[in-house]
Amino acid sequence: MAAETVEIKRAAGAALRRISSAELHFLENCVGCALCESVCPYTEVDPGYGPVSKAELLRRIYRKEMTISGMILGPLVHAWMPGAGDLGLVREVAYRCTNCWHCYTVCAFGINSGTLVNMLRTVVDGVGMTPAVLAEMRKLELEGAGGKASATLAEVLNRAAKEIGKDLPFDKKGANVLYVPWPVEAALDPDSVVATIKILDALGEDWSIPKDPLGLRVPVGSLVGDVKAAEEAMKSFNDRVSDLSPKIVLLSDGGYPYSSLRFELAEAVGSTPSYRVVHVSEYLAEKLREGKLKLRSGSERVTWHDPCKLGRSAGVFDEPREVLKAATSGFRELPHNRKDSYCVGGGGGMGWLSDELRKVAEEKLGVKSSSDGESEFLSKADSDLKKAMKRKMEDVKKSEAEIIVTACPMCVKTLVMGSQIHGPEIKVEHISTFVAERLG
Amino acid sequence: MQPVPATDLYNLAVYSLLPVTIFVFVAGMFYRISRYVSTWKRPRASSPKRGKGFGGAVVGLIMTFLHPIIFSLKKERSMFTTGLLAMHVLGVIPLLFLLAHHVVWWAYFFPPYAALKPLAIPTSSVSSYLSLSAPVHPASSMSFDFVNTVWGPLTAVLNGDVLAVIATVAVGYKVLERIPKISGGRRYIRIGDFVALLLLFAIIVSGYVATHHMLGPDMSDYRTALGFHILTAEILVMILPFTKFFHFVFGYWYGKLHEWYDLVLRRGV
Repeated sequence: MAAETVEIKRAAGAALRRISSAELHFLENCVGCALCESVCPYTEVDPGYGPVSKAELLRRIYRKEMTISGMILGPLVHAWMPGAGDLGLVREVAYRCTNCWHCYTVCAFGINSGTLVNMLRTVVDGVGMTPAVLAEMRKLELEGAGGKASATLAEVLNRAAKEIGKDLPFDKKGANVLYVPWPVEAALDPDSVVATIKILDALGEDWSIPKDPLGLRVPVGSLVGDVKAAEEAMKSFNDRVSDLSPKIVLLSDGGYPYSSLRFELAEAVGSTPSYRVVHVSEYLAEKLREGKLKLRSGSERVTWHDPCKLGRSAGVFDEPREVLKAATSGFRELPHNRKDSYCVGGGGGMGWLSDELRKVAEEKLGVKSSSDGESEFLSKADSDLKKAMKRKMEDVKKSEAEIIVTACPMCVKTLVMGSQIHGPEIKVEHISTFVAERLG
Repeated sequence: MQPVPATDLYNLAVYSLLPVTIFVFVAGMFYRISRYVSTWKRPRASSPKRGKGFGGAVVGLIMTFLHPIIFSLKKERSMFTTGLLAMHVLGVIPLLFLLAHHVVWWAYFFPPYAALKPLAIPTSSVSSYLSLSAPVHPASSMSFDFVNTVWGPLTAVLNGDVLAVIATVAVGYKVLERIPKISGGRRYIRIGDFVALLLLFAIIVSGYVATHHMLGPDMSDYRTALGFHILTAEILVMILPFTKFFHFVFGYWYGKLHEWYDLVLRRGV
């Protein structure tokens, strides 16, 4: 057997070795109704990027590797092991998913195709074909997110300290709130970090902040299907947070770090954390209910974009709306909202494959943004992302809002990109930024 | 009248293959479900859940099942009409479980099923005879009294003939709509889809043919048609645990309950 084939089989084995009963269901029980196609931002780019078609590649590998009929009948039952010449297609398909879970919520059988696409990324990773920018980010996180990444965050924290006119309470033990910003947030949406600090200061909160980053954007490994790296990053995060023993870990990042740390961390570290993981929108709503958060109310036309990992994956729907409605009488929903919110298209690492954000990765985080032989793959990914954004921007246009507020740095960045490419002209703000500007 | 042969298709299907069918089905189900049991992992620790109380859990359970239906009704009408309404809501539930012939069949093997007899759906809106005792196609163009069932005027639709036609058209549509998709990059279309749909087609059409004695007036013709109908249904039951039909008895229910646990009870979505 050729060395490449052995390597592919080993990578496939690694992806499928420890499947759970739920993953077995995802692999085996799709009837191919393709209802999921209609919600995926990438189906509009190419029908072959529909969730069911993407997952089918992993299912074929699964049939070949792990079912008797697949081993015996092969192509007749669509069992297949990719050869070296197929890996380009496998990588392309694996990196046309934002893991937004919209397909999961509309599936008549409760199949999470995002999970399967992530397992396909495990195969891609196993043969060393993970896009360089993401592979480098994973490495940087496991090495402590130092260098340029750390410097970028430090610069933003210095700015925040200047704006509130105080030194930041670094590494204070036993604080009520430990605010954890990531270098990635500082690189993509620094205003949200500064604004969150302003809010904590204005509320007189007993808070603290890590002096050094607790990761690049924990867990980066989850973006490339590297379960081990993700677990390692979460363990390191948990150890450092536990040392500081806060009651609440506050995140302004409403992307994958929130759902991972809120719902996956306990399993990764093997114990229930001693602290609560809270998103800033939940925190703000709580303070509003307690009467501690006072906002100047206006009448701007404001809408809310539900980040997939905050809404569909974590159930935080009501809190941000509560806050926005307290700040403006002009709040309106997007036509597709809450559980049916359209994904912008940049999540799940997709945004990092764009030309614009790879430059940010290089300049602000110090990671190599491409490797030899990737140019065609990256160029197509960039073009596909721009096409995928269109549907969301049409939704935004229909809302006739002048400000779209959200909570994930990648959503902020891709909404800005989408607005520039497809219109409408709209101000995009993180909820912390929006609230900090309206503190009463 | 021709003599009934001792070894015809009917005898093969009803007497010889039935125990084999049941054995293969049970063994297959045991195999499939045991894989789910063996891959189940006890969580090492659990994060705090974001449940929304008992009421939220109940509403969430109902919505977990309803959401895809509502979504398909809004966004994918052809899928809703053919896949859900024609094939499942009309095709499977009334035809498979309530058609008078099938009620008799189920009740023979599972006597309490006879309790559903009052809900039985007739073969046609003008005849409630089971076709073993009488062919049901009208013998003349004279008017007939409508069958008096609990379904009242709904009997005009809820009868074997109409439902069989609807289900046949839906299955045919499902076959045809898949063909152009093969070349459209949709790699999820599989040979097995066509096998499954053609098998369904064979079951429905043979049932219709048997009911209407379309092969001929002799008892042997009827036995051949009905034997073929039962045989194809047995093939479906035998392959059920190993094919997409598995969703009917396990996959659908497991998937939605898992989704309910994961999204509603655990994450509060």
